[in-house]
Amino acid sequence: MSQSKDEWGSKLGVILAVAGSAVGLGNFLRFPGQAAANGGGAFLIPYFCALFLLGIPIGWAEWTMGRYGGKKGLHGAPMIMGAIGKGSLARYLGVLGVLIPLGVSTYYVFIETWTFAYFLKYLSGGIGIVQGTSIAEQTAAAGSFYSMITGSDGDGSLFTGDSRFTVISWVVVFAINLFFVFRGLSKGIEKFVSFAMPVMAVCAVIVLVRVLTLGTPDPNLPEQSVINGLGYMWNPDFSKLGNFQTWLAAAGQIFFSLSVGFGVIINYASYMRRKDDVALSGLTAAATNELFEVGFGGMITLTAAFVFLGLSGTAGAVATGSFGLGFNTLPVVFAQMGAFENIIGALWFFMLWLAAITSSLSMYAPAVAHLKEATNMSHGRSTAVIALIGTLGAVLTLWFTAGGAFWSTVDFWVGTYLIFVLAMVQIIYFGWVFGIDRGWRELHQGASIQVPTIFKVVMKYIAPAYLIIVFVGFTIQNFRASLEASWANTGSRVAMLTIAAILLYLVVVTWIGERRLRAAGVDIDDATPAD
Amino acid sequence: MTTLGWVFMTCSLVLVWGGAFWCYKRVLQTPTDEKVPAGYGP
Repeated sequence: MSQSKDEWGSKLGVILAVAGSAVGLGNFLRFPGQAAANGGGAFLIPYFCALFLLGIPIGWAEWTMGRYGGKKGLHGAPMIMGAIGKGSLARYLGVLGVLIPLGVSTYYVFIETWTFAYFLKYLSGGIGIVQGTSIAEQTAAAGSFYSMITGSDGDGSLFTGDSRFTVISWVVVFAINLFFVFRGLSKGIEKFVSFAMPVMAVCAVIVLVRVLTLGTPDPNLPEQSVINGLGYMWNPDFSKLGNFQTWLAAAGQIFFSLSVGFGVIINYASYMRRKDDVALSGLTAAATNELFEVGFGGMITLTAAFVFLGLSGTAGAVATGSFGLGFNTLPVVFAQMGAFENIIGALWFFMLWLAAITSSLSMYAPAVAHLKEATNMSHGRSTAVIALIGTLGAVLTLWFTAGGAFWSTVDFWVGTYLIFVLAMVQIIYFGWVFGIDRGWRELHQGASIQVPTIFKVVMKYIAPAYLIIVFVGFTIQNFRASLEASWANTGSRVAMLTIAAILLYLVVVTWIGERRLRAAGVDIDDATPAD
Repeated sequence: MTTLGWVFMTCSLVLVWGGAFWCYKRVLQTPTDEKVPAGYGP
């Protein structure tokens, strides 16, 4: 099928690539905020339930479907889903597996640029917070820098004054992404994540050790200690478990954190051999994500904030959301670390940048693979076309920055809503059309572990039922209002039109591919099973 | 930090660190004699 050649260089390659895709900013910024707001330690009960009942099983289904598609020489999500679902409906629904990563990449690289810009600024002397001034003044300085970097003051502001630093940083970050994507699977993506994942872990350990050894920095405020900071994050509030919202938040966190329903796993797994293990690989990628999320994210972020900002300051930071916590509050926290400010600041944002780029790298591969497969283009030309789409999307992201209207609209519809849709489609096709018995056999082909049989029930009934309930409930409650909100201003309207344009393009590409592959005699409807 | 806070934190950390350690140990112990076939790349 593919006219180009590449292979994973080691058995850890695909695991680290998928884990790198999953570990992102949400592990360090979103998870601690969600936990603190939903019962602290008690949040981990619904969280781990969702991990074992939703995240890991759907992940296994995606790994299995991807490898099965690879057996038939298929690598793009639409063609693989067409084979799994035995027809055009599944194939066109599978277009979401390309639209989601490509659509998310248009704004994700922008946010990745923030981390890179912060990292560079900390390396060159800080972001303008003056030590010794009041917390309010430092917060204002951090907010001013954040506005400058993100261009949140108004559309087009990134192309004026000091904010142009963001555009220059974006060019560098985008070029680094394209460089590794162009180099391909083993020479590009695998090589980078094999370096980035261990480095990210080392950075996380250094920051964690620094935070845990802060003690009680201000003797006048003995309650602001590391132990109390950990208590803020981990003390359980069981009353929250009676609230449906807590269980929903836990499932949502697991779901988006693991990158299931994103279109990446199915593409990456398609390059595995028919006897390569997917059961242990899927579990290991998920375990890596959990290590970064609970083991590091759960220990660092809020503990550091609490030690320097106290209970009310930390609660206020959590209320500002993930970006407020990461880009506004933590720089103020670092400013309290004296001589360590710039070192810890640089380490922190370098770590966030690594987390972001290992995710963004995975967002282009599914689109490049689909384009190559459908149109028979070369790898270089496919990468160039996807780069062009990415650039157009990024220019719009960089221009429509007022209130984050453009990127938050894409984030909601593509990076949140459609992920639920794709995961629901995938697990239903896997359990009910491909067949759970066949899927189970496929999952265990070459497996290094035996998956407990209970997961057969989970994959066929529990996971689809959960996703359908959430999808229907969410659609009834929020769809109309969200749609109206997404048409409220120019930035969000342009975002909606951009999503529609990319979707239309991908549908046309799929239509071309369907005809081309059929004419070439490829069994895209899985008439002859490849078991 | 309350006793239950310590319990939840310790159990969670043991689960994620232990789980990751177990997974990577199994991965590294499993011999690989094949590489994946032609696919994505220039």
